[in-house]
Amino acid sequence: MKKILRMLSVQLWAALSDLLVIGKTDKRKPVYIYTGVLVFIIAMSAVSYSYSYMLGTGLKMLGSLELLPAIMFTAACLATLITTIFKVKGTVFGFRDYDLIMSLPVSTASVIACRLLILYSFNFMFTFISMFPMMIVYGILANPGTGFYIMSLLLMLFAPLIPLVFASVIGTFIAYLASKFRHNNLLNIIFSISIIFLFVGMQFAFAGENEKLANFSRLITQQLYRLYPPARLYSKAVTDGDWICCLLFIALSIAAFVFYTYVVKLLFKKINTLLMTARARSDFKLGELKTASPIKALYIRELKRYFSSSIYVLNTAFGIVILTVMSVAGLFVDLDAIFGGEQNLNLLKDYLALCLVFFIMLSCTTMASISLEGKSLWIIKSLPVAPMTVFYSKIAVNLTICLPALLDVILLGIIFGLSAGRIVLLLLMAAAASLLIAMYGLLINLILPNFSWTSPVVVIKQSASTMVTVFSGLAFVVVYFLFASLMPSELLTNIGYLLFLTVADFILYILLKSYGIKKYNAL
Amino acid sequence: MLKITNFSKCYQKGVKAVDNLSLEVKSGDIFGFIGHNGAGKTTTLKAVAGILDFDEGDIEIDKISIKKDPVACKQRMAYIPDNPDLYEHLTGIAYLNFIGDIYQVSKAERTELIKEYAGAFELTSNLGDVIGSYSHGMKQKLAIISALIHKPKLLILDEPFVGLDPKAAYTLKTIMARVCSEGRAIFFSTHVLEVAQKLCNKIAIIKKGRLVANGSTAEVIGDSSLEEVFLELIEEKQS
Repeated sequence: MKKILRMLSVQLWAALSDLLVIGKTDKRKPVYIYTGVLVFIIAMSAVSYSYSYMLGTGLKMLGSLELLPAIMFTAACLATLITTIFKVKGTVFGFRDYDLIMSLPVSTASVIACRLLILYSFNFMFTFISMFPMMIVYGILANPGTGFYIMSLLLMLFAPLIPLVFASVIGTFIAYLASKFRHNNLLNIIFSISIIFLFVGMQFAFAGENEKLANFSRLITQQLYRLYPPARLYSKAVTDGDWICCLLFIALSIAAFVFYTYVVKLLFKKINTLLMTARARSDFKLGELKTASPIKALYIRELKRYFSSSIYVLNTAFGIVILTVMSVAGLFVDLDAIFGGEQNLNLLKDYLALCLVFFIMLSCTTMASISLEGKSLWIIKSLPVAPMTVFYSKIAVNLTICLPALLDVILLGIIFGLSAGRIVLLLLMAAAASLLIAMYGLLINLILPNFSWTSPVVVIKQSASTMVTVFSGLAFVVVYFLFASLMPSELLTNIGYLLFLTVADFILYILLKSYGIKKYNAL
Repeated sequence: MLKITNFSKCYQKGVKAVDNLSLEVKSGDIFGFIGHNGAGKTTTLKAVAGILDFDEGDIEIDKISIKKDPVACKQRMAYIPDNPDLYEHLTGIAYLNFIGDIYQVSKAERTELIKEYAGAFELTSNLGDVIGSYSHGMKQKLAIISALIHKPKLLILDEPFVGLDPKAAYTLKTIMARVCSEGRAIFFSTHVLEVAQKLCNKIAIIKKGRLVANGSTAEVIGDSSLEEVFLELIEEKQS
């Protein structure tokens, strides 16, 4: 036990040190990171609270408020399951310091337990952020006794364990299957985007209909109790104060964890060897070679890197995927019913530009593109290419990802019956916003690079550059409201905002050409 | 070919990694750059390669200042670090093609040179595999091939023999000798003093950022061996 805890403390510290910039000399970064983390926690808690309140209100109307903890518990478990599946490869299996850890005088079971606990640590934070607000909502709506709070807090500690074990099993299976395919990242990307489609589709089905959602939730909960018995144990423990169910839930969670650890022990080395041995066919024969210009070569290199990481794609194309799904779905669903009437629909129509720019601002590939050069930075720095050429190639990839936004504008034009002039205006705004976030992300990454990462997930999801770009980039969206408050009409608001985006693009370009190059040369 | 004049590089807190270094590499030279760990070899090589910014002194390749026209300088040279971290997601051939595109090597020429060098290093059959599947030695070989396919006038190599099997090391030595006989130049660092003594016509020894010896191999080592001279110079400074 002592060895597990010691290993866990070292490895958790290593995982956190990059995120929290511990041991780095740049003193500015921690402020940005901590601010970013704090904003993230507040935003997630707000979303959880709103969702819980909406659902709780509907359930209370149906006299089924006691289902709220079970539903949110299941939602948190599902989120843990889905987000953990793709973290399994890289955390439980195929982790970078595998050789070092396995050469230590520690049992394989201890190593597995330690790796699972690392996953558990990050998942617990997420579970707490999503379930604590639910606890408050239930407290407001049901006014339960102290026992509810004690049980909820106690069981929150064990809630992530079972989904974690399931995710590890599925994640291992996917990683094993994917290792058999040449383009295994494509498999990951397709699978993950399918999940997004499903999730957004469900939102469309139940948007604005609390009662419908509550009814659906009630039905699902009955099914859930049969398929996932721990949910029933949890529900009885927190709502009825049943200590036997509480102890059973805890025992089940710990048993699943221990059982998985000892089963995987038998296959751990075999699976790791398989995953960490990249497939080499060694049968290449030199044939016809294709040539390209330096800028095209850099662009293709950048594009290949982008699609080589499923996390990179999912984290940065998220906004555009959502926008595209919603635009396509808008052609087939009854928007009046979804948005609750023509008045709301007209409001959405007036703020289409805002929505468009918002989703584009969530689609930034350049915010991690400098950091992702990592230890290979020497290659582009030693090549005869000007810094701006390197920048153009990175910006080009971001613009490629944002290209579907132009199609989405056409679709939205059809859905809302927009005039040709309005569509052109939106197209120009989409182009200007895409260019803006590409250059902005690049500039931020030049100021806040991180080359000492051990996993690309750190720079893609958790770096200072990513957090600063995402949260401060939304300020460009907020500026729209300033124009909306100053301008007398929606048309003038949009024209004014387009001018703002264009001027911002110009300023960022000048900054890249001067300050950006200086920062690049100093890397 | 390469002229380093009063080059100095400071890192944080004013600590000089390299102090007032001057040397010259001419066409046809195989110039060995030797020093203990942390002496400033890699810092010097990176500055020459245009990777590291510096404030004091100047570095000229073919009489072009790396500060004033870095792209023109880089067009004339190739750099290989001691531990070449390449693009793991690309195949070997994709990486070579990428380098060929950047240096605008014609299709015919790059095909011929890839065939020649990949064959010499016995790497041809692995070029279709992703670099992530390569061993350290294979990556080193690929980096060397990528440096040669655009026929640079100046090769900057940081400990090029590390990780190479004996046959590959021999192949590299042969190629180095041939490259210099064609009028090009090589500036490389190594810890393998026997190789430096046999291969190089010029040698410089760096100790704590300062040159302690610089000249033709015969002048530097005299009647002793390079190992004896090196140890003597290092001990001299220590005492």
